[in-house]
Amino acid sequence: MHDDSDTPQRIRPVAMLLAWIWPGLGHISLGERVRGYRIMGGMLLLFFGGLLIGGVDCVDRREDTLWFLPQAACGPLAFAADFANTKILKSAPPEELLSPPEPSGSGRLLPPTVSKRRGLAHPNEFGTLFIALAGLMNVAVILDAGFRRFGPSTASTGGGR
Amino acid sequence: MSLLAYTPFIDPLPAAYELWWLSAIPLLFGISMIYKAYRMPVLDGYWRQVGVMTAQILVAMILFAVSLSVLVVWIVPRLPVE
Repeated sequence: MHDDSDTPQRIRPVAMLLAWIWPGLGHISLGERVRGYRIMGGMLLLFFGGLLIGGVDCVDRREDTLWFLPQAACGPLAFAADFANTKILKSAPPEELLSPPEPSGSGRLLPPTVSKRRGLAHPNEFGTLFIALAGLMNVAVILDAGFRRFGPSTASTGGGR
Repeated sequence: MSLLAYTPFIDPLPAAYELWWLSAIPLLFGISMIYKAYRMPVLDGYWRQVGVMTAQILVAMILFAVSLSVLVVWIVPRLPVE
């Protein structure tokens, strides 16, 4: 790491915004292309791995709001997945919906509101976790893109290869 | 769920109901890829570092799981009730 502790800290809001819009784009904009591509690869592996394991039900802004907070740090990808969830699962035709049992345990069935495509148990948990961790990692990446001290200089010394 | 009706990225992966624990490996690999990409000052030896970090966390998780199993299955049932 370069010793540039004497130079004033520069904040790069554009790089931070780009890092949120698409994972890795912030570092690519700083000239660290390889670093950015590797961040992008890891982030997309986690995001689409989560969607593959748990289905689109893993991103749910309305029902899993607390999980969506870290997931939203993945950027527009998370909002697109939530939109797909709303369009495919929550707006499904009635024949694709199941009736949940009444919470009181009476055995009566409520009107059909639950999609047959809904994720349950471990796949849903792991899918949600994959995407939430991708978002939390992207928070660190966004901060790194904004406050990186040895940014463009490493592009010429190997860091940007 | 029928495999014929499975739509990738829309439906949950059918195999993940049984083999959910295998998903820890790509999870740790992805986290290591991101962490090492922004943390290493110079990216020489990047993939080796990613592999080492993945293996380290995986081994730590396995050791924790074995320790907890020993505690719950062997030690706790042998404790005196009163």
